[in-house]
Amino acid sequence: MTRNTMIDGWYPVGLASQLDAHGRRTALMGEPIAVRRGEDGNAKVTGGNGRDLPACIRYGHVWSSLGDPQKPLFAIPEADQPGRRLVDVGVVRVRCSPLRAVENFLDIAHFPFVHTDILGAEPHTEVQNYKVEIREDEDEVWATQVKFYQPQAAKSAEGGITTEYMYRVPAPTCSVLYKTCPPRPAEWDVITLFVQPLAEDLCDVWPWMALFDDETPMTDLIHFQQTIFVQDRSILENQIPTLLPLDPGMEIPTRADLTSVAYRRWLKRHGYTYGAQLVAQ
Amino acid sequence: MKLYDYVLSPSCYKVRLMAALIGVTLDIRPVDFHPGCEHRGPELMALNPAGSIPILEDGDLVLTESSAMLVYLAAKAAPQWLGNDTAGRAARVQQWLSFSHRLTASLGAARLHEMLLRPGNIAALREQGTAALRELEAGLVEQHVRGQRFLASDRPTIADIACFPYVALAPDGGVSLDPYPAIRLWSRAVRSLEGFIEMPGIHRLHELTPAPVLEVGEA
Amino acid sequence: MPPYPTGSWMPVALSADLPAQTVMPAQSPAGPVALWRTRSGRAAAFADRCPHRGMRLSHGFVRGETLACIYHGWSYAKAGNCQRIPAQPALTPPDTIRVATQHVEDGGGIIWISVGEPAAGPPRFEGLAPLRSMVVEAGIVALEAAAGTKAAGGLLDYTYDDRTVWLLLAPDGQARTLMHVLVNEDSNPDERIDASRAAEALRRAAEDIARAGIAR
Ligand SMILES: N[C@H](CCC(=O)N[C@@H](CS)C(=O)NCC(=O)O)C(=O)O
Ligand code: FES
Ligand SMILES: [Fe+2]
Repeated sequence: MTRNTMIDGWYPVGLASQLDAHGRRTALMGEPIAVRRGEDGNAKVTGGNGRDLPACIRYGHVWSSLGDPQKPLFAIPEADQPGRRLVDVGVVRVRCSPLRAVENFLDIAHFPFVHTDILGAEPHTEVQNYKVEIREDEDEVWATQVKFYQPQAAKSAEGGITTEYMYRVPAPTCSVLYKTCPPRPAEWDVITLFVQPLAEDLCDVWPWMALFDDETPMTDLIHFQQTIFVQDRSILENQIPTLLPLDPGMEIPTRADLTSVAYRRWLKRHGYTYGAQLVAQ
Repeated sequence: MKLYDYVLSPSCYKVRLMAALIGVTLDIRPVDFHPGCEHRGPELMALNPAGSIPILEDGDLVLTESSAMLVYLAAKAAPQWLGNDTAGRAARVQQWLSFSHRLTASLGAARLHEMLLRPGNIAALREQGTAALRELEAGLVEQHVRGQRFLASDRPTIADIACFPYVALAPDGGVSLDPYPAIRLWSRAVRSLEGFIEMPGIHRLHELTPAPVLEVGEA
Repeated sequence: MPPYPTGSWMPVALSADLPAQTVMPAQSPAGPVALWRTRSGRAAAFADRCPHRGMRLSHGFVRGETLACIYHGWSYAKAGNCQRIPAQPALTPPDTIRVATQHVEDGGGIIWISVGEPAAGPPRFEGLAPLRSMVVEAGIVALEAAAGTKAAGGLLDYTYDDRTVWLLLAPDGQARTLMHVLVNEDSNPDERIDASRAAEALRRAAEDIARAGIAR
């Protein structure tokens, strides 16, 4: 068997704001783990056999790893910009591959059908050409110049606008998207999807946001994002096969799927196969 | 009328859906149920010591049971939804309103367990949920034989609205709806009602609108 | 021998449970299918898996003569060929994009599927009318034991009080059976309701037998 190269990565394991001395029991790639606040105030994560696991707190969440992370957690420089509202959306569990959850997040063509009248609406279904690349220096997948017509792009949006997006995959189960920010045209809103792989076919999803929006109440921001994600959940639980096929095999990608194609290629190149299968059967 | 509401709560959705179907405007007060647990905070516990939502406030009337809210909305704005024109029908409506609490306790709890990580004995909850779905299916089959498409009558009543949300969202808790053709037809009839609104987990019936065409020059 | 050799028919649903312009999930001898009916009333069965990204097509929607996938809206004609990809509206989808289809017959109030070329049409049950379909968490043997009689040609006559209901059985694996309840076509509503309740009772008995069998 080949070594699971995803073992050395960082994964979200809880909300920093809900960390307490009592702690929570959860799992990472099949191993039961416990997450709590230590005496020194820092996050403490222990593995199945009681060993201490690496831990850090960043972007509203506690992060940990079963292995030996070679790199610090990826950077989201915008998250530290003053004036942003940081939104802990909370966990949603999904019975699907953690990689399928990320792939869905990178997809815009489903907006009119799954997020009807919010992120998309017929007849505005066309996906314009956009740019996709694997940035070798950062070793990340990027999609840029992604544009889509949206009836209600954000809680703060009034009426339909053509929204521009950039997508970034800095780690196999995490994605960061940058989206047109209606109140501040020069900036991007940051919306992330942090996925905790519990098993190859089960994950806890922790969406998180860093927005320029001084108007909307925090609860409305949380509910907007929960609405969107739970609309995706029933799709994710009904895709066949459960594991993400890294070669299309029986699946048929088209031009609108170029981000997905690049993501799968990047996963395959790194041997990031926890939650994947090589060919669709 | 003020509704303490959570977008992902099927019980709150019952009240939003009823109001939408009969054209009542609600003043929505979002509650940070998850992850904030605001329904257990001092402000909401003072209103509803049971620590649950929805809560409906109208003047000095405070309701904390969704079935009572459906009765209140219908009695005020659309009494035909009460389905109380005969003794038998009135009783049948009450029968399903009481039954709907079993859906909350089984399918609803399974959904909270599977989706929002609430504790619970998932196998037992699913088994109770399946038993309730079988009862509903059998009830709907008998209604079809009587020539009626809805739970208590040939037109929808508050009974349908009380049962619809947790049933439609059963798959969220890992309980399949595939074995229930009568539930499927009923669910479709509810979703086709004039004024119907969705909640996350219940998709739009896109077939109700014709395939839209983009005018030339429109982007 | 598998329960449904190539060319034989499996009763998968009742026609009345599939109105025009709807889709439902069903089990066929070749696996899960999306069973759907066009606006003009014709039934079709597709493998329940979208060729694009694997979404179950039984969650989709029927517009006119096509079935569309709920995920990205790709739509397919009755023959299985993809007709439209909404993300690329100007593209005529190549003929290679198609979903696997199965033979469907819709007659006598029952929808049948055959895998492979059928030699003859599906059976007809003269004088009987379908009432409802139900899933039984037990195999045919347990159902036969509960009814106290053997199925012939997939049909089990179950006599209760002094009435008979006919149960058309389709195995779904060893431990589950799809059971279509048929009644005398001139039964009145009260008799139909009784038949439905008798079928519920039979299901309970068969599932008790199956559970006891597993426990033993
Ligand atoms: N009073 C019941 C309660 C409905 C219910 O169970 N509401 C859930 C949200 S969907 C709740 O508030 N649960 C409290 C909790 O789980 O802490 C009703 O109105 O039907
Ligand atoms: S998966 Fe069916 S259209 Fe994309
Ligand atoms: Fe989505």
